[in-house]
Amino acid sequence: MILSRLARSGRGGIVLLVLGLLAALVLPWLIYPPVALDIACWALFAAAVDLLLGFTGLLSFGHAAFWGGSAYCTGLIVLHGGMPFPVAIIGGALFAALLALPIGLLSVRLTGIYFAMVTLAFAQMIYFVANQWRDVTGGENGLQGIPREFLGLDLSDPFFFYYAGLPFVLAGLFAAWRIVRSPFGRVLVSIRDNPARARALGYPVERYRLLAFVLSAALAGTAGGVFAIGHGFAALDGLYWTTSGQVVMMVILGGIGTLWGGAIGAAIVVQLQDFLATAGFEGVGIVTGSIFIVIVLLFRRGIWGTARHLLISRRQADPPVSPAAGAAEEPVESPEPAPAPASPHPAGD
Amino acid sequence: MRITGWSGGLAAAGLLLAGCGGGPGGGGGAISDGGVTLAVLNDQSGIYADTSGRSSIEAVKMAVDDYKAKYGDKAVATKIEVTGADHQNKPEIANSKAQELYDRQHADVILDVPTSSAALAVATVAKNKKKVFIDVGAASTELEGKSCNKYTFHYGYNSYMLAHGTGTEVTKAGAKNWYIVYPDYAFGQDMTKTFSAAIKGAGGSVVGSDPTPFPNDNFSTFLLKAPGLDPKPQVLGTMHAGGDLVNLVKQYNEYKLRDKNVTLAIGLLLLSDIHSLGPDALAGTRYTTMWTWNFDEKTRAWADRFQAKLNKRPTANMAANYSAALQYLEAVQRAGTDNADKVVAQLEGQKVEDMFVRNGTIRAQDHLLLHDSYLAEVKGSADVKEPYDYEKVLNTIPAAEAFQPQPDPACKL
Repeated sequence: MILSRLARSGRGGIVLLVLGLLAALVLPWLIYPPVALDIACWALFAAAVDLLLGFTGLLSFGHAAFWGGSAYCTGLIVLHGGMPFPVAIIGGALFAALLALPIGLLSVRLTGIYFAMVTLAFAQMIYFVANQWRDVTGGENGLQGIPREFLGLDLSDPFFFYYAGLPFVLAGLFAAWRIVRSPFGRVLVSIRDNPARARALGYPVERYRLLAFVLSAALAGTAGGVFAIGHGFAALDGLYWTTSGQVVMMVILGGIGTLWGGAIGAAIVVQLQDFLATAGFEGVGIVTGSIFIVIVLLFRRGIWGTARHLLISRRQADPPVSPAAGAAEEPVESPEPAPAPASPHPAGD
Repeated sequence: MRITGWSGGLAAAGLLLAGCGGGPGGGGGAISDGGVTLAVLNDQSGIYADTSGRSSIEAVKMAVDDYKAKYGDKAVATKIEVTGADHQNKPEIANSKAQELYDRQHADVILDVPTSSAALAVATVAKNKKKVFIDVGAASTELEGKSCNKYTFHYGYNSYMLAHGTGTEVTKAGAKNWYIVYPDYAFGQDMTKTFSAAIKGAGGSVVGSDPTPFPNDNFSTFLLKAPGLDPKPQVLGTMHAGGDLVNLVKQYNEYKLRDKNVTLAIGLLLLSDIHSLGPDALAGTRYTTMWTWNFDEKTRAWADRFQAKLNKRPTANMAANYSAALQYLEAVQRAGTDNADKVVAQLEGQKVEDMFVRNGTIRAQDHLLLHDSYLAEVKGSADVKEPYDYEKVLNTIPAAEAFQPQPDPACKL
């Protein structure tokens, strides 16, 4: 899913949007369709995490709970409710949002590493609940054999299902883009850059963070639901912390605070896993780890972030895009002066 | 943008490779896609890589050689390919790869697939694609229970066989009181349930059973508790595997429980585990195994061939993959085609006998291979005569007793 690279630079944005949509549409022709769907799902998941990490300044290490929780919920709705899959996916996303509400309430007061640890702890709790509640979740066997029929259409061919699942992903990405560009999104950015100042301006910082957290969870849930229907199962490792880690890695690879960068990160990681599965090489972790290190060292803004930075710095003498929001911001009197412009989008709106 | 090109190029290369793999189409109608392709889908880089992994691909190649040598010009399958894929223990990769193997690499059968969630996902793919899947690596009895289907076979071992074998045989041998520790997830819980039933069935009793967190690196609470229980247990049964098992065994030795007359019984133990822990750490431990390389002439001969190739002795899983591939090819030979339905018909109810399987039958009702299994004990290093000579078979558990006596009624093929 290399969708709509809305580089905010005038007409280039439209071109990129069209190119991105085109890429999304032809993807299953280029690569094996189930893998293409994986990329689409992870791209939306990465955008959801980036909404928090890049635009709200909160590094969640527990988003597996929403991805996996929604996968289980979606599967259960189809298996036991006999509902068509679009209803199930929406149900799964709502479940993820509901789940995010108490978790968010308890964790948005924290930032930085504390926020990451608390979200991780909650996600692990959900993991253990799913592991133990075997009558409902199937334990480590997972929820298997989720059918994907819709109005009598047989979507068992992954090629066709890609196009059935894609609208959800696109809708999710559009929602993420709207959120970021809305006045609400601007407030999030200002909270990211200087929460004390945002508070002084009268914004209820925690409530904004909570809402961003819940929205992000709903988007992650949408992605998880499509993923579950696409594969026909919901498995325990979708809830495990490695899933949270993988999506954060995708965001970092693509570029924090770029929204679309996550799609590139997703494409790289998923393709790499797929490629290494049959490459006949034993050290899968070594390869992914080395690539991660290389990208972090060479492209400090991530791939998309670096590309955008180069484009912009060539086009205008403007100061570069505000660097990726550090996860460890200080609530009061941050040591570095906050970037002056309230928005990291110089050519926005 | 660069990435689109990159992934596109990769995909194109993949397509090209897939095209080559399929080989020239057409030709005789009996064998589809120009040949028979056996695909080994398992963990080749993670925790199960040592127990099966890439070595199983080599074992399957040995089966192909044996098939060719046996039938020569009369072989139905003239062109046989063996391919492998690493599912990295992720069910979604197993799912995608299984589809790709069947669709694009024209795999006629997928073998191995450890990790139960991955195995069950592949079983669903096999059912949808109407292609044969013979699972070796996963222990879940759900493969021949609720999730069974016409194209899926379970070959070698399962959690029932492991728990029942050790539980019954060790209790019969005089160890009446058990204390069980198990990892708190489905495999551990199932094993404990089956173990307890087997122990009670054989006239013993379970003094206590405790779940441990998973993964866990400190078992001292449980190990210190064991000798103090009333009545004092003679056996500590553990259902742990992998790193947890290693930690538990190390601590079992540190606390010198063996000297306190609490022996150790392990749910699932493989040659590669003994090799990495060293026989002394495990000496006297009893467990159930589906095969051991040092059992008799036939197993030894095969293990020698394996060692000549890979410079190590095979685990039971590798031998099981060899046997599964061989029996699949034999079924193709009898059917005269690689058509999945016809091959399945040949496998159902088939009596099996080879270097791995003794007194074997593939039960038609649930596609579970019933065969002799063995209660074994780890030798002390004084008794080890050569490298990898760690296992001593105490007695044979006949095929009829080793596995579920009746098919699960939940299984509807």
